[in-house]
Amino acid sequence: MNNFTYSSASDINSALKLFSESPGRNATRFLAGGTNLIDLMREGIEQPQSLVDITRLPLAEVQQLPDGGVRIGAMVRNSHLAAHALIREKYPLLSQAILIGASAQLRNMATTGGNLMQRTRCYYFYDGAAACNKRAPGSGCDALEGSNRIHAILGATRKCVATHPSDMCVALAALDASVNVTGPSGERRVPFTDFHRLPGDTPEIDTNLAHGELITSIDLPAASSGLASTYRKIRDRASYAFALVSVAAALRAEGGRTRDVRLALGGVAHKPWRASVAEEFLKDKAPTPDNFSRAAAAELAQAVPLRHNAFKVELAKRTIALALSALVTDAPTANGGGAQ
Amino acid sequence: MLGEFRNGTPSAVTKNGVPNDLSDAELRERMSGNLCRCGAYVGIREAIHQAYGTMKP
Repeated sequence: MNNFTYSSASDINSALKLFSESPGRNATRFLAGGTNLIDLMREGIEQPQSLVDITRLPLAEVQQLPDGGVRIGAMVRNSHLAAHALIREKYPLLSQAILIGASAQLRNMATTGGNLMQRTRCYYFYDGAAACNKRAPGSGCDALEGSNRIHAILGATRKCVATHPSDMCVALAALDASVNVTGPSGERRVPFTDFHRLPGDTPEIDTNLAHGELITSIDLPAASSGLASTYRKIRDRASYAFALVSVAAALRAEGGRTRDVRLALGGVAHKPWRASVAEEFLKDKAPTPDNFSRAAAAELAQAVPLRHNAFKVELAKRTIALALSALVTDAPTANGGGAQ
Repeated sequence: MLGEFRNGTPSAVTKNGVPNDLSDAELRERMSGNLCRCGAYVGIREAIHQAYGTMKP
C-alpha cells in the first residue's frame, strides 16, 4: 500500500478546507464508510496521497422536509436508511433496493453519499495488468473483446463498457431524487439522473461531481400517493451478488390508464438508467402485460450487446414486464406490497 | 445477527418491512456474506435456530 496522510473533519467547512489544503490535493479523497475506497487502495487501483475522513460530519440524519419530502444525510449508513420508518413506509422501493445489495456488515458501514461514489466492479478495472480507460486513460479497454458477460448494453462507448454497481442508486433514479453538494464554489443541487455520467470519451470520470466537492444530502420529493413500486434484481446467486439486470418500477393506474410510471434499470449501463422511452410509451396507455412488453422492447431497441452479454437484452425486457405486471395485480396496501 | 432480528432490523426477504418470523429464508439471507456456509451450512442453520430458542429476550 502507498503512504498517505489522514485527517478527520468535524464539520463541512473544515472538511472542504482540509481537502483543499491537503498534500497532493489532486489525489485527495474523502473517506466515508470505506467499503469500496479501502478495497481499491489495497488493490492499488486508487492511490490517494491524502484522505479526509468525513464520517464525523453531522450529516447522519433522515429528516422530513416541510414540502413533504425527505432529506437523507450523506453519512446515513445504508442499514439505518433501509430500516428507517419514514423510508420503509413512504419509499419502500428504496428500502428494498438497499437491503437486496451487499451484506449486513457492508450496509452497516456504507454511507448514502459513498454509495453514489462507488466504482465499477469491471474485472479489467480491478486488474492492474489489464488495459482499462477508466483506471488508466488511453490504455484501451480489455472488456470490449474480453469476458464481458457482466458489462453494459446501453449508453456505452468503445472506450468503456463498465456498469455502475449500485442497487440503491437505481431506486433513487426512479424516485426523482436530487443530490445536494457543496464545494469551494458554493452549494448546488443536482438532479439524481444527472449525477452519474455515461462514459463518452472520458470514462475515468464517473460523476459530474467536481474534484473537492462533497455530497451533503439526498432529497426525495414527497411520495406520491397510490404509486405502487417494486425492485427486482436478477443475479447469479440469490444473495450477496451484483445485479446482472435490476429494475426499479413504480406505477399508478386509474380508470384503466397508466397515469404515472417510473422505471430505472441497474446492471446495464455506466449509470443508473432511467428508462424514459418505456415511460413515455406507457403514458395514458392501458396497464396491460402486452403494453409493458412493448414498452420494454422500445427501451431496449437502443441496446448494443457485446459478445457475452446479449442475454441481458431479453432479461431486461422480461424483468421490466414482470415488475410492472406485479404492480397491477398487487393491490397497493398501506405498508409493503410496494405502496408508497 | 439475532440481535438485529430481535430489534426489528429488516432484511431483503422480510415481508412488509417488519421481521416477526425467524424463517429459514430469513436465516439464509442474514447469514449471507456473514458466515462461511460451505459444507456445514445445514448444521449452522439448525444451531442458530436452537440458539435463538434458548436466547433470553
